[in-house]
Amino acid sequence: MQLRRFFWTGLFLVALPYNVEAQQRPQQGATPDLRDVPVATRTYAITNARIVVAPGQEIPRGTVVLRNGLIEAVGPDVSVPTDAWVLEGDSLVVYAGFIDGLSHVGVPAPRRKENQEPARRRVENPGSPPPELAGLTPDRDVRTLLKADDPAIAKLRRIGFTMAHVVPRGRMLPGQGALIFLRGQTPEEMVYQGQVSLFAQLEPAQGVYPATDMAVLARFRQLYREATRRHQHATLYAANPQGLQPPAYDPVHAAFFPVLEGRLPVFFYVEEVLDIHRVLALHRQLNFPLRLAGLSGSFDALEQLKASNIPLFLTLDLPEAPRDTIRATQKLSDDSLAARHNTYLHVSSYQDVSAEIENLKARQAKERIKYYETAARMHAAGLRFGFSTRDADPDKILNNLRTMIKYGLPQEAALAALTIDAARLLGIDKAAGTIEAGKLANLVVTTGPLFEEKTRIRYVFVAGERFEIKEPARPSRRDEGEPMPARAEGTWSCTVDSPEGSIDTTLRITGQSGTLSSSAIPRELFLENLRLEADQLSFSVTTDTYGRVDARLTLRGDTAEGTIDVPGVGVLPIHCTRTSGPER
Amino acid sequence: MLRANLLACCLLLGLTCTVYAQQKGDLFIRNGTVLTVTNGTLPNTDILIRNGKIAAIGQHLEVPDGIEVIDATGLYVMPGIIDAHSHIAISNVNEATNPVTAEVSVGDVLNPYDIRIYRALAGGVTVSHVMHGSANVIGGQNETIKHRYGETDPDALRMEGAPRTIKFALGENPIRVHGRGHNVTPLSRMGVEFIIRDAFQKAQRYMEAWERYEQERKRNPRAVPPPYNERLEVLADILRGNILIHCHSYRADEILMLLRVLKDFGIRRVVFQHANEAFKVAPELAAFGAMVSVFADWWAYKFEVYYSTAYNAAILTRNGVITSINSDSPELNRHLYHEAAKAIKYGGLTEDEALALITINPARQLGIEDRVGSIEVGKDADLAIFSAHPLSIYAVCKKTIVDGIVRFDADRDPDDMRLRVDPERPVELAIRWGDHQHHQRCLEGVDLIAFLTQTLQSVQP
Amino acid sequence: MKRLLLLWVIGWLLSLPAAQATDMPKARRGVFALTNARIITVTQGVIERGTLIIRNDRIVAIGTDVEIPPDAEIIDCTGLEIYPGFIDSGTYLGLVEIRSLPETRDYREQGDLTPHVDALTAVNPNSVLIPVNRVNGITTVLTEPEGGLLPGKAALINLFGYTPEQMHVGGVRLMVLDFPSKGRRGPWDRRKPEDIEKAFRQAMEKLNEVWDRAELYARIDSAYRANPEKNPRPLYVPALQALLPVLRGEMPLMIKVDLAPDILEAIQWVKKRGLKRVIFSGVAEGWRVADKIAEAGIPCLVGPILSLPTRESDRYDKAYANAGLLHAAGVKIAIRTGDAANVRNLPYHAGFAAVYGLGREAALRAITINPAEIFGVDDLIGSLEVGKKANLFVADGDPFEPKTQVRYVFIDGYLIPMDNRQLRLYQEFLHRQPGLELHPTTH
Repeated sequence: MQLRRFFWTGLFLVALPYNVEAQQRPQQGATPDLRDVPVATRTYAITNARIVVAPGQEIPRGTVVLRNGLIEAVGPDVSVPTDAWVLEGDSLVVYAGFIDGLSHVGVPAPRRKENQEPARRRVENPGSPPPELAGLTPDRDVRTLLKADDPAIAKLRRIGFTMAHVVPRGRMLPGQGALIFLRGQTPEEMVYQGQVSLFAQLEPAQGVYPATDMAVLARFRQLYREATRRHQHATLYAANPQGLQPPAYDPVHAAFFPVLEGRLPVFFYVEEVLDIHRVLALHRQLNFPLRLAGLSGSFDALEQLKASNIPLFLTLDLPEAPRDTIRATQKLSDDSLAARHNTYLHVSSYQDVSAEIENLKARQAKERIKYYETAARMHAAGLRFGFSTRDADPDKILNNLRTMIKYGLPQEAALAALTIDAARLLGIDKAAGTIEAGKLANLVVTTGPLFEEKTRIRYVFVAGERFEIKEPARPSRRDEGEPMPARAEGTWSCTVDSPEGSIDTTLRITGQSGTLSSSAIPRELFLENLRLEADQLSFSVTTDTYGRVDARLTLRGDTAEGTIDVPGVGVLPIHCTRTSGPER
Repeated sequence: MLRANLLACCLLLGLTCTVYAQQKGDLFIRNGTVLTVTNGTLPNTDILIRNGKIAAIGQHLEVPDGIEVIDATGLYVMPGIIDAHSHIAISNVNEATNPVTAEVSVGDVLNPYDIRIYRALAGGVTVSHVMHGSANVIGGQNETIKHRYGETDPDALRMEGAPRTIKFALGENPIRVHGRGHNVTPLSRMGVEFIIRDAFQKAQRYMEAWERYEQERKRNPRAVPPPYNERLEVLADILRGNILIHCHSYRADEILMLLRVLKDFGIRRVVFQHANEAFKVAPELAAFGAMVSVFADWWAYKFEVYYSTAYNAAILTRNGVITSINSDSPELNRHLYHEAAKAIKYGGLTEDEALALITINPARQLGIEDRVGSIEVGKDADLAIFSAHPLSIYAVCKKTIVDGIVRFDADRDPDDMRLRVDPERPVELAIRWGDHQHHQRCLEGVDLIAFLTQTLQSVQP
Repeated sequence: MKRLLLLWVIGWLLSLPAAQATDMPKARRGVFALTNARIITVTQGVIERGTLIIRNDRIVAIGTDVEIPPDAEIIDCTGLEIYPGFIDSGTYLGLVEIRSLPETRDYREQGDLTPHVDALTAVNPNSVLIPVNRVNGITTVLTEPEGGLLPGKAALINLFGYTPEQMHVGGVRLMVLDFPSKGRRGPWDRRKPEDIEKAFRQAMEKLNEVWDRAELYARIDSAYRANPEKNPRPLYVPALQALLPVLRGEMPLMIKVDLAPDILEAIQWVKKRGLKRVIFSGVAEGWRVADKIAEAGIPCLVGPILSLPTRESDRYDKAYANAGLLHAAGVKIAIRTGDAANVRNLPYHAGFAAVYGLGREAALRAITINPAEIFGVDDLIGSLEVGKKANLFVADGDPFEPKTQVRYVFIDGYLIPMDNRQLRLYQEFLHRQPGLELHPTTH
């Protein structure tokens, strides 16, 4: 899992082109665009449906009326208003809309503008970089970053999510989160409530302080304690300025003031168990209002999570088995694989090797099951939690929920985590989370019990707005047109990952030559043996200490990824995005 | 007020750390050859362990009812080996962005899942001094851990009550990373000295500012506290003598430099790490009371270790310097007993002196000698049981015991001792170590920066 | 007691041949009679209280009933043991002085394909590292180039001589091939499994292309040699020219290969290419496919033994046990340190292999007669036999034990001064003068 965490930066960059592509590709074989057809009424009635008012609380046959974005009435004998658009709910089931406890939906990864070279990322002293480079932008408000056309919004909505707690992307302190509706033509229409969280992660900066997790923790302590002091100063000054120096304005520290006043919780995204321990320790040291999201490795820290008694948002991502090369075990389920595990296997010669490999696969399956069981174990431990979609593929979320249920999570608990528990933990249970009159008209209408495999979602209502969910058109074969020949020219902003932090590097390639430079160093270096074969870019640089260092990159549009091989050090991943050129 | 709060927080932290009560075991080790280190070799001797402590040592001790008995007939029992320089069990090694990073601590990023803890146990090592790397002149704080492999709470690794220590580093590494890499001081050993003096001066000013504030606060409730600085807090604690310095160093001149600086600032305790040229200034080290932790025989991997000698440990010992042999490597730490044996070859130390290099002496260097490092009644039951005398090449570690609990058992443990498994990576992916697995060690994590530095320098005329 | 020991050590140091002369100690040849020794011949058993006679570069007599030549210098070896000089089957000794300083590194040439370069050329006979290592009884090492697919030719050298030619043993050169790997190159290697596989395939394609062309080149060359009048002379292609002796079976191919899947690929490749003289080096995961290696009959230079397991799931001692498991499966093995500065630890690599399953006897052979046989110089070195080169050492006990002291080393018949910089620093600084008192001139 350590590796997984490590890949986040990388994935983020790699994921980029696909999103962009999806955005630009015309919708193939999908429904016609009806957005310009005027709406006749904003009142809806779903009649004769099974209504799951709240987990464990059902109206077997009833009607829900929605008006002006709110639930107007719900019950077995509710009359249908004359202005309502009636949906015959026979055989349909109505659930409260799902709430995403933490993600970046609506906040697409920034794409660096072409031909607009970002200010050279060189710092005078990597020990004290400007706050943005250090990942310190806690004053940034996610509402200013929302994009209504982010395709991730529709992807999440079509599986039943109606609201989300969204936070900015970034590193250690990316900014402040907001609660949004998963609908709207403009950012303003999306926002439900702003300034609901201060978002934090153990995400070091690139080649500048804090470049490691341990420095991120130290930086957080420093910020928090100094903010405490500044808050004290500001309070004294506000009471009576006489004889006191005016407090200095500093947005980074000031962003902590509402946290210090207990008005704003800190949302930490932590994936693996070690990060959970680290943030809990920080919490014990500083005692700030804390929420945790991610938590895929929490099965090893349940006691500590229980003792800390803080709201949790479990990731909806689950691990998948590696591609197996041996056919015999390929078809086996994790359960049957795990059952074969022999905990006391000794390998004493070449004759035992195949038994060992089988056993390692069995052990790995056992480990995957721990992830599948995590939600159930959290529930059994009495932890209340919602879910986070941040790291989950929307197409896999419903399936992952079914896996969690298969491995012991009661269906009602799963539903609660998607709805009312998430609402409570986010402090919006008066407004959302159940199907009650007066609450927001956030609904999911399905063809059957939510967690059954054959059940389909038919409608999703977000704040009274109706979305009809069509079966996804079979993904048509990718147009097998002539692939564009890859081009290497341009300026590439690259990140080289090392366990102690990542290093910024810039490649400039024009024609047959190029240069390499890095945030650490002012001067540039010429690339040798620069070669582009199909989409494979390779070059080398000769160094005093390590001899020839080879780099190999696979180009995909404006992104490239590959490795840089430093003899005696290792093969390090490098990810690049083209920030300018080539001319098109 | 603020500082009082901070203190309360720290106390709270201390409390919460001890909340995770350590597992302690009861054991009876029968009829072994016991190498006490501080009290000679005792043949055919029993050791009784109660609640994680050594309760009795002697011949024909009575076996309490229901206790687990290990028959050590024909086996050798020695104190658990202590590695005074290690980078296992942590997620980060170097915060290589600034010449002074006293505020960071590897104790914040302990990783109890690290298989290298188990592999160290398999070489009889029960305690490691887990250190920040050597990229910075004043690096981060270190952590003394016990190899309680099997526990998954990071706090369970901490050796409760062990003194705080911090990493300093002199010479080529900080010069290469900061001077040549980032174009900041230090670019020479002169600059290294300045960085340390500068840091201590600032810490003194910081302490004075807070003392002034504390005074003023008594008569003026509207007093505004001076800026809080986590880094200077730690440096101030060094000046107060609350944090022990462990200094990566090689050359004799830089060792003397630090002795002078510490004298000027009234700091009395220091341990030099690696110190390949410590033998050249052994009398000065002895006079200061400084201690030294060295490699058995590593040399020639960089210029500042070219004028080395494998007789370093022997010369230091003969000059009265408390000396240990460390690993700084997840491979070497598996055979520290063998590394210690080399001090018999190179300089003729006695067997007890050689064993002290990896037991009581590193314990002294970490300030934990009242707890571990020898087999004495009342000490922690950290023991290693070998098939032959541990200084013999034919010795195989059979069992390693931490706090009375068997954490390594050569005869009973399965092959796969990982505490967790990546659920997604193919199981068969192996590492091809080749011949250079000891290559970098202390500079882990800054290689890339260094590489880029050198890449760019290589094109200059 | 301690003091007594110290005195003894100092006394012993002073009695060293090196320290006897006041001027620079020098190696010398002549006639030596090593008497009353326990002689471990390796190939012909152990002789208790025997005598070994050295004349010039050769061993001329061994036995309990040996007449001591009148011109012999007698070295009384009562209580001591004589061993053949140890052979390290994989080092960089002589090619590097200070690893971090590029100016002092000569084991890596530019590019991926440099089979035409020769390690022997760059061996520095005066490297400070050499005396430090040989006083522990290591008399001979294979020194290797590295980096790239075909980094060059390794050479077998004695650790004494003033020119590379004087050091060169039996003219032995091995062509090094660093076989492509399906493994990670270290904990730092975070490539995806698919990318690793892809890189392996590409490297294999390259290797096969090189070998196809080398075979073609060899045919052209053979045709030309057979009839230079009629057939055209081959182009000047140094890399392919350098591979001719390998293709013709005149020079062994040393394949550096470690991981189990790589070893299997290498065995297939060797078979496909019909190569007869092949040696594997490294072989960290050899135990996993030991039967396949034995079946292929390829000898292995195993090590470093003091190394980490290749997989986190491996038992902690797999690297120690590897040599023993290979031996048990019938693979012929020698042991290598893969080191330069600390080749002196070769006996301890062998010792760890011995205790973790190889056994003492086999471990001793793995650093004496086995490498001599593998390199085809068992008529010269590798055991104590009449007629062989006088490469040997005298120790006061089991050389695998760290506490054992080596008293005398002979290389190519030369009695080597037991002197080196590390010892001299010891002698100078054990009791430094002036000690703590300030030197008068500074005041």
